[in-house]
Amino acid sequence: MEHSIKVSKDACQGCVNCIRVCPTEAIRVVDGEIDIIEELCIDCGECLRSCCRSALGIYEDDWNRTKESSRAMIVPDPVFFSQFSHYGRPDDLEEVLSSLDLKTLIDEAEDAFDLSAYAVAQLINRSSKTALPVISVYCPSVLRLIQTKFPELLSRVVPVLSPLEIAATLWRMRTNSDAPLTLLAPCPAKITMVREPFDKTASPLTSAVTVRKVARSIMAEGDINVEKGPAPKKRNNRWIQWARRGGESRHVQAFSDRKLTILAVSGMRNTLDTLQELELGRLRGVDFIECRVCDTGCVGGVGTADSRFLANLRMGSIETDWNISPKELSRAEELFTMGIWPVKNEYQPRPRLPLSDNLADAMVKLQQMKEIYNGLPHIDCGSCGRPSCQAMAEEIVRGHGSVTDCIFKLREGISALANQIVKLSESQPHTLKRKGGKC
Amino acid sequence: MAAPVCLEYRIEGNNFMTAGTASNNIKNTLKMLGIQSEVCRRAAVIAYEAEINLVIHANGGILKAVISEDRLEITAKDEGPGIPDIEQAMTEGYTTASNQAREMGFGAGMGLPNIKRNSDLFEIESTPGEGTMLKSTVFFNK
Repeated sequence: MEHSIKVSKDACQGCVNCIRVCPTEAIRVVDGEIDIIEELCIDCGECLRSCCRSALGIYEDDWNRTKESSRAMIVPDPVFFSQFSHYGRPDDLEEVLSSLDLKTLIDEAEDAFDLSAYAVAQLINRSSKTALPVISVYCPSVLRLIQTKFPELLSRVVPVLSPLEIAATLWRMRTNSDAPLTLLAPCPAKITMVREPFDKTASPLTSAVTVRKVARSIMAEGDINVEKGPAPKKRNNRWIQWARRGGESRHVQAFSDRKLTILAVSGMRNTLDTLQELELGRLRGVDFIECRVCDTGCVGGVGTADSRFLANLRMGSIETDWNISPKELSRAEELFTMGIWPVKNEYQPRPRLPLSDNLADAMVKLQQMKEIYNGLPHIDCGSCGRPSCQAMAEEIVRGHGSVTDCIFKLREGISALANQIVKLSESQPHTLKRKGGKC
Repeated sequence: MAAPVCLEYRIEGNNFMTAGTASNNIKNTLKMLGIQSEVCRRAAVIAYEAEINLVIHANGGILKAVISEDRLEITAKDEGPGIPDIEQAMTEGYTTASNQAREMGFGAGMGLPNIKRNSDLFEIESTPGEGTMLKSTVFFNK
């Protein structure tokens, strides 16, 4: 399985910050270096935020190659438009990119995001009451989190492709071209979406680089003059609002005939709590759930260039038209019937391996695990290289590691051994004289 | 035969914040044992509803899960007010939950019917003034 987190082994000091923030407990420290369990990693980037030595980074494609190829095609994530204080209007940025000989797929993105929101609104409308709420799939980490930790919720995830992928497909259909398309992504999760699409077939996108890399590269060009005249084309900018929490929800609502009950949350903890509550059946009466693992939404991604707070503010000042014109509605309906939006294959769970394939054997191992766990200090210090005492107990019964990996157990062992040495040293062979004894 | 795995939790009454922890734990244990996803889902619903009943109606009690090689038995035992009319309590939508519980989104009158629907065997005994004993069984290979 491909991922977009890279580890610089030289910079990693084997501290345990990252292993404790990982929501799926996917990281271990082995021989002083971190090791990511590929099956569990959801590319959320939480570990990057916790690393104070920059030993963790985003593994992205080469931006210079895209930049230097003539008339390179760019699919920008909405977040891209929130990163600059001096290019306030999305049109300005399009012009800047154009002056650098880069073509931006904005028309296609507008259509694709409209289509995606329309498709979700349709799915909600057609779902029975028990099938609601359905869950947004826009944040790829949320889907991977559900596959790993909440597989029972998979049937609620909307089977709609990411609008970023749909935009690329639309462009390919219109131009009949197989020229490379580069996604500007705000996070490792969306980069992985390009490398390892959920639908298994190849992504219509060719490569992915971070918004940060591109924003910095544009800043390095110095000030580029953009004409302050009227915008060349009237844009509704709805799709750009997906960069912050609630943007997608508002877009879906705009396409729905009835008032929807929508829950939009951002941040890892809020996402985990929402999914947990949903799994326990507490969220009755909700129609749609939008979860983003990054705080404030995609503008909070680890691959962005500017403060998420400022980016969020700028999003608020981008003029947005939430009224769907009859022309836009019929456009969405037309695209809807073309069959370019549905996910073809069902989302598959990615559960943890059971302790054993045989239930009786697994039960024995579970008892052993409980016993081992009971002997551990339960402070989840991470010194053994695992995220918790529970995880350590589990790994021991799976045959990876021993109790002495725990420094507290090791200390107990040494102390017991030392006592035994003292005791042994007191027992004497008969041929030696006893100290202070009579002859 | 491997020795059955016993999980036992003391559930605190009226503590809505921690409600769900025990049932979550039971579900995770079943997953670790490699029990099929559908059975885990049913077990999670049973354990959760039983746990919530202990929290909102019974002022706490004991939730117990015993996992054997062929089945899971969930028992919820309390010394709460008891149920005067079990048949009525088993009706969908019938509830005696407090306003506080309902404001928190609980007490929709679906708890016991939900447990029964997801169980293979279901037993409930109750004496008003003494308490309630609920026992639900789910078989792994039906």
